[in-house]
Amino acid sequence: MRKGKRMINLRKELSEEDQQLKSELEMLVERLKENNAELYKPALEAIKNFIRTATSSMTAVPKPLKFLRPHYPSLTELYENWAAREEKFALADVLSVLGMTYADEGRTESLKYRLLAPSPDLGGWGHEYVRHLALEIGTEYEKRSEKDEDVKASKDLKDLALSLIPFFLSHNAEADAVDLLAELEMIEEIPPFLDENTYQRVCLYMVSMVNLLAPPEDVAFLRTAHTIYRQHNKLTQAMTIAIRLHDLDLIEEDFEAAGEDRSMKKQLSFLVARQHICLKSDDGEILECLSNSHLSDHYLALGKELNILEPKTPDDIYKSYLENARTGPGSGNMDSARHNLASTFVNAFVNAGFCKDTYMLVEDEAKSWVYKNKDQGMISAAASIGMLMQWNVEAGLQAIDRYMYADDPQIKAGAAFGIGLLNSGVRSDADPAMALLCEPMYLENDNPNIRKCAIMGLGLAYVGSGRADVMDLLLPIVSDTSLTMELSAMAALSLGLCFVGSSNGDISLAILQVFMERVENNEEAQLKDKWSRFLALGLALLFVGRQEEADTTLETLKAIDHPIAKHTSVLVDACAYAGTGNVLKFQSMLHLCHDHLEVEEGKEGADLYQTYAVLGLALIAMGEDIGSEMALRQFGHLMHYGEPVIRKSVPLAMGLLSASNPQMKVYDTLSRYSHDNDIDVAMNAILAMGLVGAGTNNARLAQLLRQLASYYHRDMNSVFMVRIAQGLLHMGKGTLSVNPFHSDRQVLSKVAVAGLLTVLISSIDAKSFILENSHYLLYFLAPAMHPRFLMTLDENLKPLPVNVRVGQAVDVVGQAGRPKTITGWQTQSTPVLLSYGERAELESDEYISLMNNLEGIAILKKNPNFQRD
Amino acid sequence: MGSAQSGMGGGPPGGDQNKDGKDQKKDKPKYEPPPPTTRVGRKKKRHAAGPDASSKLPTVIPNSRCKLKMLRMERIKDHLLLEEEFVQNQEMLRGGAKGEDRVAVERGRVDEFRGSPMGVGTLEEMIDDDHAIVSSATGPEYYVSIMSFVDKDLLEPGCSVLLHHKTVSIVGVLTEESDPLISVMKLDKAPTESYADIGGLETQIQEVREAVELPLLHPELYEEMGIKPPKGVILYGSPGTGKTLLAKAVANQTSATFLRIVGSELIQKYLGDGPRLCRQIFQVAAEHAPSIVFIDEIDAIGTKRYESTSGGEREVQRTMLELLNQLDGFDDRGDVKVIMATNKIETLDPALIRPGRIDRKILFENPDQNTKRKIFTLHTSKMSLSEDVDLEEFIAQKDDLSGADIKAICTEAGLLALRERRMRVQMADFRSARERVLKTKSEGEPEGLYL
Repeated sequence: MRKGKRMINLRKELSEEDQQLKSELEMLVERLKENNAELYKPALEAIKNFIRTATSSMTAVPKPLKFLRPHYPSLTELYENWAAREEKFALADVLSVLGMTYADEGRTESLKYRLLAPSPDLGGWGHEYVRHLALEIGTEYEKRSEKDEDVKASKDLKDLALSLIPFFLSHNAEADAVDLLAELEMIEEIPPFLDENTYQRVCLYMVSMVNLLAPPEDVAFLRTAHTIYRQHNKLTQAMTIAIRLHDLDLIEEDFEAAGEDRSMKKQLSFLVARQHICLKSDDGEILECLSNSHLSDHYLALGKELNILEPKTPDDIYKSYLENARTGPGSGNMDSARHNLASTFVNAFVNAGFCKDTYMLVEDEAKSWVYKNKDQGMISAAASIGMLMQWNVEAGLQAIDRYMYADDPQIKAGAAFGIGLLNSGVRSDADPAMALLCEPMYLENDNPNIRKCAIMGLGLAYVGSGRADVMDLLLPIVSDTSLTMELSAMAALSLGLCFVGSSNGDISLAILQVFMERVENNEEAQLKDKWSRFLALGLALLFVGRQEEADTTLETLKAIDHPIAKHTSVLVDACAYAGTGNVLKFQSMLHLCHDHLEVEEGKEGADLYQTYAVLGLALIAMGEDIGSEMALRQFGHLMHYGEPVIRKSVPLAMGLLSASNPQMKVYDTLSRYSHDNDIDVAMNAILAMGLVGAGTNNARLAQLLRQLASYYHRDMNSVFMVRIAQGLLHMGKGTLSVNPFHSDRQVLSKVAVAGLLTVLISSIDAKSFILENSHYLLYFLAPAMHPRFLMTLDENLKPLPVNVRVGQAVDVVGQAGRPKTITGWQTQSTPVLLSYGERAELESDEYISLMNNLEGIAILKKNPNFQRD
Repeated sequence: MGSAQSGMGGGPPGGDQNKDGKDQKKDKPKYEPPPPTTRVGRKKKRHAAGPDASSKLPTVIPNSRCKLKMLRMERIKDHLLLEEEFVQNQEMLRGGAKGEDRVAVERGRVDEFRGSPMGVGTLEEMIDDDHAIVSSATGPEYYVSIMSFVDKDLLEPGCSVLLHHKTVSIVGVLTEESDPLISVMKLDKAPTESYADIGGLETQIQEVREAVELPLLHPELYEEMGIKPPKGVILYGSPGTGKTLLAKAVANQTSATFLRIVGSELIQKYLGDGPRLCRQIFQVAAEHAPSIVFIDEIDAIGTKRYESTSGGEREVQRTMLELLNQLDGFDDRGDVKVIMATNKIETLDPALIRPGRIDRKILFENPDQNTKRKIFTLHTSKMSLSEDVDLEEFIAQKDDLSGADIKAICTEAGLLALRERRMRVQMADFRSARERVLKTKSEGEPEGLYL
């Protein structure tokens, strides 16, 4: 109370200047109230002048506004009474500015008078005023659309908003400009306002908002950003967005826009190839870029540069001598077949793509490691050649050739699978995979193993390609209900891989048909079969990232009266929203995890959908930083309250969420889970640790895994898992990544998601797949594997070593000035490795990169203006 | 949180699920290495005092006002709501209506384990995850076990722990470790002086507000401009010009934690105590951020460094060095603003007031005529004056009066009137009061003596 009084006291005691200002203003107001119309104009001008020239601190209201405040009501009255004329506009002008300080919450007075007095020069009133006006436009628009008025009619608002945009853009307030247009749902209007200096910041801001917006706004934002980039001829950025939109027409349009610029075309080809999108080109050189033909060469060049071409043996990886001495050599009771099998995988992962190892690719066939494996182990061993020779089609075929015609059906099967692995992610004219695998000797072999491997091989070889001939080959196998579930499911999975994220109607229909037929025919046993989940996965993969396009399929699934329909629909839903960060979907997945199901006798697997839901949480949340961090918290709760079926899938989901991104808090948590009482949880946590560190050589993870190896030395299943995780950790000797995001963590590689998801789903019940006979499912990681390098080429695609700075990426959105985009950098010479969240930039201006963000393969052009100092 | 709770089951895998479960059970007694803990011994940053690092909320950038920031905040909110919903439902399912009882029962059980009374001891050394050596206040050291419900992340050598009265096992950690002295410095009751009580000093007020209050209230303004907000200000000027008064007004106005210290408080009896106190002040300030630290009479410790043989001098200088480090050292202090006040800025160490530590130096001058008028009216507004009082006379005189002098004149005049048993202060009182004040003022400063 006392304080208030004192404040009033203070106001009375104005300084002389203030007093003078006040009386002058009062006089002017009085003059307006008089009848002498001639004095109106100069009076208004004077008031305006006072307001405009008032300088003040940031902390206080400008004095003229303060003194005019008491007169605001009388002035508004006055306005109503005046006849329309020039002065009336001027008065409205002043009232609009006064309204900013006077108006109560929710009264858009400023705007009201601004609309009554159109003025071209809004900036003159200052930044604060323009911002205030923008705010009121937003609220008013919302109010109008709530009242269901025809929003189209709000042209007055829109025009006013558009007149504000140039002011914002020229005053370093791009965010405000975008926000205002977004508020009015007319973001498409922004491109004409942008120039060389502003478009980059605007686009950056817009693109980083996309993940947080509700559809259809997100697509509108992306398309607008695309238009802007095209307008400023930034084709690589435009292409990245086109890929993100997954709009084939747009991609092709961008590609053609490069016109005669062949180096740009090549650069775009590399981008497209990274996403495994098939484009056609008549130009041989460009076609080679498009089909990733030189991936192996580049990869080997990287290996040469880093001096890691020498093959590593599994023992180099295990470093058993560092394990607790107590375990002793050979860790006692692990049977040798298991041990050898683990070595097969570790060898394949570690030397992946290097075309050189000490186990498989030996001269003397009799000494080959294949024969040290038993039964199904031989499949994995033979197939491992495919992974060792990955991307190198010609040499790979030679290496695998001798196993193609082996007598042992297992080896033959493995060789078929290996061919698929070999071709995964690259295309070649000869199309060896198609030529070899669709021979009746493989695809129609009586031996189910060979046949299955051929099917899987096809799926892997043509992953993401969407080739019609693959569909023709595999669709009959899916639809043929006389075959076992195993075969049709794998055929469906292969089709899913091949047509990932295409929402292909024929295939989805065929798979749904299979469900319905098998339900109708009451083939309970087949539907219950453990392989049936891959049928569901095949269907789900078709819709990766397609959002509501999956709705019809979901509707159809509802009509099928069998638990499998529910499982499938959860999986389809999760895939459809993969990488979007959609909170509503996240919520619905979480709701599925609410129930504690009592699984009755004979109905095992009825709670499978909860597992999918947990994986779905990770799938949806990934790609958006906030969502993924919050999802990690959520997983903690799930672990705490969940039933075993949920608990065992949580580690896998964590692995998916931060694949190849070893964050301390994630692997700490996983390492805790790896000692869980529930052995399923523990084993999945071990595998997840492998995934989290995949291809990073992370020393701490390596140490944790060695500890686990000695901790579990008596449980051979766990040791096997630990070995696999160790192999993953050192994948490609630390040069590969399985993270599905690329191009500055913007674009989700659907192919990689498909690969990861297949492996994760098969390890939900590790005991019936990976730890039993179907360990070769682990090779489905192949599509997700990609070198995490930065390769710089000149315009003739010859390697061009330059110095680059590599450092942690910094989010510079919405920051003032030109902040550094990387921090804590080191200067290295290309080719270099880039870890998750790292960025590179050129050290000098000697070359210009055609690529915006240096990542993967970048083509450099000489800078004509470069001057060496 | 959840992740920590489920981390308890750390034993080896259950034997029943393994085929080779039998032989595993046989050699069970053998020692199994425990699951690795997150961290042993060394202390986490104090910032992570609340929720542990893994469950901290993601940081939201950019800081400027924009929709992107709003959307990101909203996304966090959505996820938190989902979490709340999930946890609530699960608690309902688990405990039904008894959910709250269950927590109470569990609390009770933990209390039972802890027993009472509890002893307080110091943790000397961690032996392994479940055992440690503690020393009690009475002297002897014990090798004791650590109860499973104790948060091991908080344990570190040297911290105070609660000990069970019989078994002496560790049953809790005392986290409050800062000196009780500091809590005294925290201002609980805001001073009554507000900005309105300051006569004049408009520019000074504005500068202080811009440098201290605004960065705490609207950090985004600085971000948009692309500058770092100032870290602190120093108020300097001759005595009685209102430096402390302004600081009081800041404390009155702000809702931030306000810590006030006098420079001499930092000089302590024992070696190392001063710097420690200094450190802790800033620690407390950072914990309660946003906060303002006001150090009055900084020249007590902030004088220029010089070669000195006296241990006491050196200790004072070390205290200042600690202060230098706290102001602009390696750790980012975040939302802690510093206000210092002195009337001898020229004696201060240049390192202390360099930009970066103290970004703004605000001079307080003796009032000019206008200000004098304001100060006079402020002080006389509550006095009962007789009709003949005309303050303009004093204002027009060219005495070198400070704000404090003016206040003294007013008080003195009041006292004179009281002496004469008058209920009103007359002009004559003011005149004689002025004489007295000016006389004592010139007596206090033996001017011309050394000239």
